Amino acid sequence: MSTLISLKNVDLCYASTAFKERSLKTALAKLFSVGKEKVEVQDIKALKNVSVDISSGERVGLLGHNGAGKSTFLKVVAGLYPISAGTRSVQGIVRSMFDLSLGFEPDATGRENILYRGLLLGLTPKFMRGIEDEVVAFADLGEFIDYPIKTYSAGMLVRLAFAITTAVGGDVLLLDEVIGAGDANFMVKAKQRIRELIENSEVLLLASHDFVTLRATCERGLVFHHGELRFDGPMEESITTYKRLNGLA
Amino acid sequence: MAGSYFRGIWAARHFWVHLAMSDLRSRWRRSFFGILWTLIQPLGMTLLISFVFSNLLNTPIKGYAPYILSGIVVWDFVAACAVGGSLSFVQADAYIKQYGHPLAIYTLRTVLTNLVVLLLASLGLVIWVLLAMPENFGWPWLAALTIFPIVALIMWPTSTLLAYVATRFRDLPYAMTLILQAMWFVSPIYFEAKAFRNGKLDFLVDYNPLYHLLQIVRAPLLQGEWPTAENYAYCFGLIVVLSLIAWVCGRRAEKKVIFYL
Repeated sequence: MSTLISLKNVDLCYASTAFKERSLKTALAKLFSVGKEKVEVQDIKALKNVSVDISSGERVGLLGHNGAGKSTFLKVVAGLYPISAGTRSVQGIVRSMFDLSLGFEPDATGRENILYRGLLLGLTPKFMRGIEDEVVAFADLGEFIDYPIKTYSAGMLVRLAFAITTAVGGDVLLLDEVIGAGDANFMVKAKQRIRELIENSEVLLLASHDFVTLRATCERGLVFHHGELRFDGPMEESITTYKRLNGLA
Repeated sequence: MAGSYFRGIWAARHFWVHLAMSDLRSRWRRSFFGILWTLIQPLGMTLLISFVFSNLLNTPIKGYAPYILSGIVVWDFVAACAVGGSLSFVQADAYIKQYGHPLAIYTLRTVLTNLVVLLLASLGLVIWVLLAMPENFGWPWLAALTIFPIVALIMWPTSTLLAYVATRFRDLPYAMTLILQAMWFVSPIYFEAKAFRNGKLDFLVDYNPLYHLLQIVRAPLLQGEWPTAENYAYCFGLIVVLSLIAWVCGRRAEKKVIFYL
């Protein structure tokens, strides 16, 4: 098994200048309000010294409280965030599902949006026409596939997005708490789909708070706590560690 | 490094072409005249301005109106790219946060959208000139076509540069309007070059890249002449300088943009 993802001593820092309010209003307010101490905004260390190796075929679940660094970790793997220290090496094509309504045009039909989202993923129109029928069948939206997607419910959007993202494959699939949004019927299909993707020796990274999903899909767990990777091992022990760290057990 | 960046842009070509097309579609959605507005807008403006100015400055309207129209058409492109371009990254934040495409594709989208508008608007100019000054028609008109790649290659790095800065400093788009107005005022865009020369402001013409850029259209269409080598030299110089600045700025800013969205 080859190592697809390798992170060594990775730090990631959000510079406070990025979210500090720098408007003229605040500057003026500061001048005239003497004595009132405001909370000093500081740089955020979202990941601290994280080292992970992930090989092909692995299904890895990410656990941690809100703000523990799960999503940041996924975005580092996806190559979206520049790391402040350490080394990152990711081989293969990364597919991510962070924001599901992204790349959808509300006025266009579901069918047109399959094409648009494919283009966003860097695919060619020709390739997308080739897989269109398969995506339509998987999303199973009936006649709604030819309706503008502004008429869709949240669950229908998820189904369409999931169908497209997973149909085009990729070596590394990144999911951020999105898997639970379909109905029960769709969940069965979705899990089947993910299982197929894994069988084609691809990596899945899933950030979730749902232990049932995590137990069912992942055998390895990474537990994040305040930006540190506190545990890396079998899923069952990861859940125990997560509960202990957060005072749940 | 430059190679891989441009390969990334090329690889995403279907995506940014789609974005530009969808911008164009949504721009004219649900309007009665739709795409015709790109023609009506500059023509209406030209009629108004040339009527006032030709009376005010005692210039014959026949030659002055196409001069203004050419100025409006090109200047609208420059202004739209500068203002729209500076907002390109902010507007595309949802895409940037999810996919690591080279950021320059989002300014390319803005430039491409406006280039289509420019193409349509110049049709109005060509027709006007053909009707008003048919004697100017000839081979030099081929040179006028070079305005499209040149102005696009000038505005792509410019809007990319502005977008890097505007993502960090959100005041820029507002300041941009002011800067553009100042540039407009000191350039022979609506005012004739000879008005500047009469006022001993020759340097605002001779060293003004905007003048040379506009000459690429004006020399062939309005005078029936080829643009000079100097005109082209200024344009290419501008392309090189702006591209270099954008590249140097991008090397530092490209990866950090996502934090500021």
